[in-house]
Amino acid sequence: MTSIGTGYDLSNSVFSPDGRNFQVEYAVKAVENGATSVGIKCNDGVVFAVEKLISSKLLVPKKNVKIQVIDRHIGCVYSGLIPDGRHLVNRGREESKSFSQMYSKRIPIPAFADRIGQYVQAHTLYNSVRPFGVSAIFGGIDDEGSHLYMIEPSGSYWGYKGAAAGSGRQIAKTELEKLFDKNPDGLSAREAIKQAARIIYLAHEDNKEKDFELEISWCSLETDKVHKFVTGDLLDEAIEYAKGEVNGSNDSDDEDMSSDDNNQQDEDGDVEIE
Amino acid sequence: MNHDPFAWGRPSDETYGQYNEAIAGAPSFPKMNTQQPIITGTSVISMKYNNGVIIAADNLGAYGSLLRFNDVERLFAIGENTVVGVSGDISDMQYIERLLDELQIENNYDNSTGDGAESLKPSYVFEYLAAVMYSRRSKMNPLWNAIIVAGMEDNKPFLRYVNLLGVTYSSQTLATGFGAHMANPLLRKVVDKEEDVANTDLETAKKAILESMKVLYYRDARSSRKFSMAIIDNTTGLTFQKNLEVENMVWGFAKDIKGYGTQKV
Amino acid sequence: MFRNNYDGDTVTFSPTGRLFQVEYALEAIKQGSVTVGLRSNKYAVLAALKRNADELSSYQKKIIKCDEHLGLSLAGLAPDARVLSNYLRQQCHYSQLVFNRKLSVEKAGHLLSDKAQQNTQSYGGRPYGVGLLLIGYDNSGAHLLEFQPSGNTLEVYGSAIGARSQGAKTYLEKVMDNFVDLEDPEELIKTCVEALRQSLKDETLTTENLSIAIVGVDKPFTQFDNEKVTPYL
Repeated sequence: MTSIGTGYDLSNSVFSPDGRNFQVEYAVKAVENGATSVGIKCNDGVVFAVEKLISSKLLVPKKNVKIQVIDRHIGCVYSGLIPDGRHLVNRGREESKSFSQMYSKRIPIPAFADRIGQYVQAHTLYNSVRPFGVSAIFGGIDDEGSHLYMIEPSGSYWGYKGAAAGSGRQIAKTELEKLFDKNPDGLSAREAIKQAARIIYLAHEDNKEKDFELEISWCSLETDKVHKFVTGDLLDEAIEYAKGEVNGSNDSDDEDMSSDDNNQQDEDGDVEIE
Repeated sequence: MNHDPFAWGRPSDETYGQYNEAIAGAPSFPKMNTQQPIITGTSVISMKYNNGVIIAADNLGAYGSLLRFNDVERLFAIGENTVVGVSGDISDMQYIERLLDELQIENNYDNSTGDGAESLKPSYVFEYLAAVMYSRRSKMNPLWNAIIVAGMEDNKPFLRYVNLLGVTYSSQTLATGFGAHMANPLLRKVVDKEEDVANTDLETAKKAILESMKVLYYRDARSSRKFSMAIIDNTTGLTFQKNLEVENMVWGFAKDIKGYGTQKV
Repeated sequence: MFRNNYDGDTVTFSPTGRLFQVEYALEAIKQGSVTVGLRSNKYAVLAALKRNADELSSYQKKIIKCDEHLGLSLAGLAPDARVLSNYLRQQCHYSQLVFNRKLSVEKAGHLLSDKAQQNTQSYGGRPYGVGLLLIGYDNSGAHLLEFQPSGNTLEVYGSAIGARSQGAKTYLEKVMDNFVDLEDPEELIKTCVEALRQSLKDETLTTENLSIAIVGVDKPFTQFDNEKVTPYL
């Protein structure tokens, strides 16, 4: 970035002479350092998965949940600044609720994406706010079927078959592409749970010295189109499968605690703190 | 005294001349909110027994004396251990139904034990509805309903009532509307005091509720034969029965009733 | 004046995607005196080292009760902690009034997170300059949360924040397996005070400067100060 230091990158809502909005680009950097999250669109639903880095053994296992419920039929996961993600989800809940009140039906997910897009974009327009430091993957099932979207700090969003964000996104994207090449007719939500787990485990390989916990949720016909967390046997099976696949490809099996955190990273592993 | 209510509280014409709305900035007609229900649902009846609660309500939506809608569900299950029964204005009931739906969605926001330790309990649902009812009556804009919340909480039966005035109370038997007069005495034959609940089993309680529904169908002209009944049992959980009908009615006496309707003799 | 061009306000990202103002706010926590928290399955305990401005002044309050089942200790800007604890008290009242429900500790944490986040995304303010250890006992048991001005709130078995808190943290990690299953609340308090000792430098714990609080099963939030802490010294 050659224009750093020319002064055009100091305020949000300012264009540089070559037409860039630096603050938005910097917000993207915050996302790129974040923990990996993945979304898969299936024939009968969507699946979300996220890597939860365990920076200290004092953290309570299975708590500090990252994936969020937006409405009964919509779930969301994000990489980047977690508190920003919560802000976005809170807005999403308001939008979804106001739609339901106005039209007496669940918000169609494309309409929801549009509203969220407007809100995120508005945070690139004014110097009194900063852009969102998250890329959010959200989706679910509505009357038209299953939908998956990812929105970036700029406010632009696309529909995806498979989406990934955070530090492991490159590996995850490659894997998602391979997955859909292998399954041209798409895959079932049950299968996608296993694949999402595998991809998160694979994407974590670069970051191996840190321990992590896997969190998965889904919204499928099996869950009556309700967004629910994957727990119990279903989760255990997926983790089992993921470990098997990842360890099989390059034999490494250390899953020990490595908890000498040096305070360089905050507890979510999402912001570098100095 | 001037008996026209619209003259009350205003400067008298004799002293101040004719009341001038333009100067007072007052509307020519007072603001008015709901004064009466339009489509109505009749009684909700309920009682405790030794291992839970039963609640029942028929499926009629009456427009005055016209039996206008016959498939109105007036019992709403909230999770596995709460049922809300609503009588009174049906459109207000439908609004309450939406509030309850939102309540459930919001309880699942960021709640890792939303279907366990931090699930909605009957008392939470009741307290919320009571707050809504009281705040609406305090705005002189009531939701025209009487509501019974029934359920199980901490392994004990929960039963409580709130109405359009924001008044709340509990009892081992509760009924709204006509049922408060006709069903309560019948149900209290079974559980006269709170202590009697421990000696009343599900079968006895169910029989009393069915009998009360029958009496109400006989005597309440705004009731329907079809009704719903929910049982929240501490052991077996929630049983929600729809499309039940009042059975074993005896109409033999009907031919002897005189003095009503169009009969000649 | 500034360390770089990107640390003047909370609405400017650095080229690497960092928010310096927020990071500086986290530093403010370390200016405060240390406080330690830990929990077993049935109880949660706080211990804090109080400081006085000078010999003649009283000691700064470190522990604030929010409700019968909820309270917190602070490290950093005490006035900010008062704003946040007042907010929690309001929310506890609201939950009790409208829902007849104790505010769950998890929800309390999210409320704090969301309030703190607002201060990091809009111009004209500053992030909160205080870290909090939140303890509570609700329908799902005993909990301990660590709150940061960045808007991150984490559920932990034990934590320490404030000056030289690393010593206590290391100690807690070492003894974690022992205290998580402790049945006796007294033992839990002793462990907590012992952890606090690991973060002391010149000070010694006295009845004057030690504050303790506990909450748990059949035990509403209770605070111990002055002579009441004598047994734990």
